[in-house]
Amino acid sequence: MLNVKQLSVAVGNKILISEISFQLKQGDYLCVLGPNGAGKSTLLKALMGIVKTEDANITLNGQTLIQLSQKKLARHISYVPQAYGRQLNFKVADFIKMGRYPYHSAFTEWTSNDKQAMDRAITITNVSQFLSRHMQTLSGGESQRVMIAAALCQQTPLLLLDEPTCFLDPHHQVEVHQLIRHLNTQHNISIIEVSHDLNHAAQHSKHILALRNGKTLWYGRSADILQATHLQTLYDQQFVFTPHPQTGAMVALPSELVSDFL
Amino acid sequence: MKPVSILILISVATFAILLISPYLGLNSTTNPEIQQHILRQLRIPRILFAFIAGAGLALCGMVFQAMFHNPLATPFTLGVASGASLGAALYVFLGLSFSLLGIDGATFAAFIGALIAISFVYSISRLRSGFSTETLLLTGVAISFFFSSLILFTQYMSNVTDSFRILRWLMGSLTIVGYRDVLQLLPFVTICIAVILWLSRELNLLMAGDDIALSRGVSVQKTRYLLFIITSLCVGAIVALCGPIGFIGMMVPHICRLLIGSDHRWLTPATLLFGGSFLIICDTIARLIIAPAEIPVGVITTLIGGPFFLWLLIKSRNSSSI
Repeated sequence: MLNVKQLSVAVGNKILISEISFQLKQGDYLCVLGPNGAGKSTLLKALMGIVKTEDANITLNGQTLIQLSQKKLARHISYVPQAYGRQLNFKVADFIKMGRYPYHSAFTEWTSNDKQAMDRAITITNVSQFLSRHMQTLSGGESQRVMIAAALCQQTPLLLLDEPTCFLDPHHQVEVHQLIRHLNTQHNISIIEVSHDLNHAAQHSKHILALRNGKTLWYGRSADILQATHLQTLYDQQFVFTPHPQTGAMVALPSELVSDFL
Repeated sequence: MKPVSILILISVATFAILLISPYLGLNSTTNPEIQQHILRQLRIPRILFAFIAGAGLALCGMVFQAMFHNPLATPFTLGVASGASLGAALYVFLGLSFSLLGIDGATFAAFIGALIAISFVYSISRLRSGFSTETLLLTGVAISFFFSSLILFTQYMSNVTDSFRILRWLMGSLTIVGYRDVLQLLPFVTICIAVILWLSRELNLLMAGDDIALSRGVSVQKTRYLLFIITSLCVGAIVALCGPIGFIGMMVPHICRLLIGSDHRWLTPATLLFGGSFLIICDTIARLIIAPAEIPVGVITTLIGGPFFLWLLIKSRNSSSI
């Protein structure tokens, strides 16, 4: 469905990402990994039209992305931004409802389709109990589920998530990741997720795109990333590998720095 | 309370203010015929004028606050009003006098000034990589100072009469004669209200941040340009006729948000009514406080607005106010 060919983004003279290529089929789950400042968020923003790209090198179901109006684009792709420092002065229900924006003009009525889409988003994300609350009163995990619910309201085949589990405690990290996997497997929504959670990405996503300094360092099937050389060049960090005591799946752990600072 | 009931309350209060204020300060010893004349030819148009101007200023403030998700962003802090003032001051200074389609030349001069100011502020803030509200606000403040000193220069170079005209007008005054000025202002503010109501949903989304607005499908750039033009028109028309009346655009939308929440489908009518009533009240105070003389209404709005805004800042420091 999504085909990205030699995508570059620059702001002023600064090149943020250069010549990134990948493909995504319907129902795929791609994780974007990389150190801070590698251009991961820029990639998502370019796909969502938040950062403008000049070249016509992103196609969505055969259609060039920059030919689509922003409103039409929002019927194909939805986006959950990074969570930090955002003050949203809305009631939860109102915020979720705004996800129906791309299907309306100023004069159209709220239809049963809209209500269905909204109810469905609320049920999947399980946010019905705080619909009447204010966004600012939600905890990190609750707030993230509401953000996902609002994006689901757009009923798009592709969902972009920028570090959705950042700032969450382990329990809520698992909860949000389960929700994302549920969306992917049960509802066949394609996912592109920017993440720092290496082991989650290796285990649960289908493909991994590893970026460094705006360039593709590695792109392939997720399980194959767990190799010492890949990870060391990606993060400048040694990793050790061990099977997960419960599942047996291989997990990577940062190796202890011995004596470097002593 | 529900937004509907709050809006009804505000409407009732507005109606009462519109009805009562013309009769305040009417000297009962004078001849009833003169009284009637004052009421019909001076008071009522002046109150209508104040209402329209107040509504327009408050709405433009509301739009800027939502667009830049910052309570400090208003046409005044971003230099739009200074631009408009400079345009109008130059019109007086150069001794121009023309009108087009029944619209006074000063309005055009102010509109062009406002538009130049906002394009200037916006393009400078975009020169730096990315877009930040802080850069925008700082640019606005700088432009504002720059234009203010140009106005002072214009005033200094003018003859005594023009200089006094510019000074009086800079203080903000609603002293008008007859319905002509009301009709001058009405179309601009009406267009502005219509566009803002039409863009309620976009304004709601812009308030959540540009990235969320874009991801929901709002053409942020287009919406912003349209709003710039429409608010420049509105601020230009108001400033040309009654001078830069400060603080309404910052204060009124703020209070209305606290009262009715930040959904623009409710906030817009509430801000409109509240802004109009507020300027009528300020003008009535300006008329009465040292009667039979008058104080420029801009002095009153700033005197009320300053302390109120400080109080609001302290009160809402812990909770976000926009």
